[in-house]
Amino acid sequence: MTTAPPRSARPVRPRRSPLVGVVLIALVAVTIAAGLVIEFDLLPLVTRFTRGWSVISQFLLPDWAFLVRPSTVAALGTTLATAVVSTAVGAAIALVLSLLASRVTNRSGALYRVVKLLLSMVRSLPDIAWGLLFVAFVGVGAFAGTLALVMFNIGIIAKLTAETVDAVDPGPLEAADAAGANTAQRARVAVLPQILPGFASYTMYVFELNVRAATVLGMVGAGGIGNLLAIELARFNYDNLSALIVLLFVVVLLLDQLSGLLRRRLAR
Amino acid sequence: MSAVPSTLRPAPARPVPPPRWRLVLVELAALALVLVCLAGLQIKWERLADLPASIGLYTSLMVRGLLNNPFSEPWSGYWLVSLEFMAQSLAMAWIGTVIGAMLSFPLGFLAASNTAPRWVVIPIRQLLNAIRAVPDVIFAIVIMVPIVGLTPMSGTLALAFGSIGTLGKLTSEAIEGIQPGPVEAVRSSGAGPLQLLRWGVAPQIMPEVIAFWLYRFEVNIRAGAILGVVGAGGIGSLLSNLFGQREWDRIGIALFVIVAVTMIVDAISGAIRHRVIAGAPSRPATASGAIV
Repeated sequence: MTTAPPRSARPVRPRRSPLVGVVLIALVAVTIAAGLVIEFDLLPLVTRFTRGWSVISQFLLPDWAFLVRPSTVAALGTTLATAVVSTAVGAAIALVLSLLASRVTNRSGALYRVVKLLLSMVRSLPDIAWGLLFVAFVGVGAFAGTLALVMFNIGIIAKLTAETVDAVDPGPLEAADAAGANTAQRARVAVLPQILPGFASYTMYVFELNVRAATVLGMVGAGGIGNLLAIELARFNYDNLSALIVLLFVVVLLLDQLSGLLRRRLAR
Repeated sequence: MSAVPSTLRPAPARPVPPPRWRLVLVELAALALVLVCLAGLQIKWERLADLPASIGLYTSLMVRGLLNNPFSEPWSGYWLVSLEFMAQSLAMAWIGTVIGAMLSFPLGFLAASNTAPRWVVIPIRQLLNAIRAVPDVIFAIVIMVPIVGLTPMSGTLALAFGSIGTLGKLTSEAIEGIQPGPVEAVRSSGAGPLQLLRWGVAPQIMPEVIAFWLYRFEVNIRAGAILGVVGAGGIGSLLSNLFGQREWDRIGIALFVIVAVTMIVDAISGAIRHRVIAGAPSRPATASGAIV
């Protein structure tokens, strides 16, 4: 501290690692390969625009009467109910699994690894695959959609919450250990209060995803708005389809606002 | 507060727990909402009783498909078809993410309140919100399939368009969270507005933004599955065909390929994300001294 450092020269530019070049070449190669696989071609956007426009223009004249049909209202209700129930069930299961998927709360190494592996398998199947599976298991309808979304939610919420558990403040844990708490007790009194705000926020986030996902799942037989979308698409009823999409858009935006409001209140 | 005497006060009583009735009320309301929705679904609960049996049956059929020698006909063909469609899904997700990243990057600057004027920020933010509210499959149905046709390219463009919404929002939030110091330093050395963004803002956000791109790539692999159901390519088209024909042994192979490939890609992408965010592993002091 007492000796003044020598006047520093102009800083030397850090040497660029040769790895950067390799990575850039690899990225370009992957992109070109991917482009070949999907036969990348932007020309149709220009050359076939007029052909596509005849379809798109039909979307510009939505048939609003379609929205007040009882079947449409019921389908919207089914989609929203699917989203709510699957969020609640998925979040409850995910909370337990997240405590098992962190070394902080799960002292059994074997169980920890099994739960981690299970969760990453659950996460790696797309929601549509879960939808197709449960439609086969329990038949067409909202029940299949709900079960598929429960799996989808478990994957996301458990991963995010487990990461929150990993990062808890160790003070309360030490206090609980010092007071002689067992594994379940220390999770309840030292971990749960710390992770609940994060957990609630992830749950709201997943609910926003679910409204969209519940719609999409309907297209593979899981009931609700998606089912109507698939039917009207197959019949080329673009005016009805367009009204449905506008309805969906408005509902999702409203629910996002509501959920965002709740999340901001939770964050305080 | 001003009249607190400095004399010793008696030991404070045990703190009174804050009133809980509001929380209880919220919890009851949430419970009621869930129950109403559950009733509205009109679930046939007897189907739940059959669930374990049907899961067992179909799982055993799927496992049977997996246990056949994958190098003998016709099983080798089934594995190859699954891998081909999965490769197509990966390619769609990759190109979709690349296009989405390129388009969302400038939009992120236009949607951040510290790099763009207010009259630009508000409409761009609303545009990004609007894109995020629409599922990718809707872009495919309404815009891409009518114009481009039933090809992987239309699915890719739908994914690209959908990616703009999330990536633009996340990028703009990263820009709004930067440190003002480097920007001031660059400005004080006489940089113009674009140089300010290039040398003051971009270096601060790039690690985070690259992590978002990788994250979106992982999401797009999954999101692309639905596009196959409407005919826009990828593993989803194989899945919906196989489920339509109830070929459980082939479904088992396809699901196995999806899980394995996705887990491998997630692991690689996660490792890169960690490296980009946390930086290079710290070397021993002697090694870093040797470099200088």
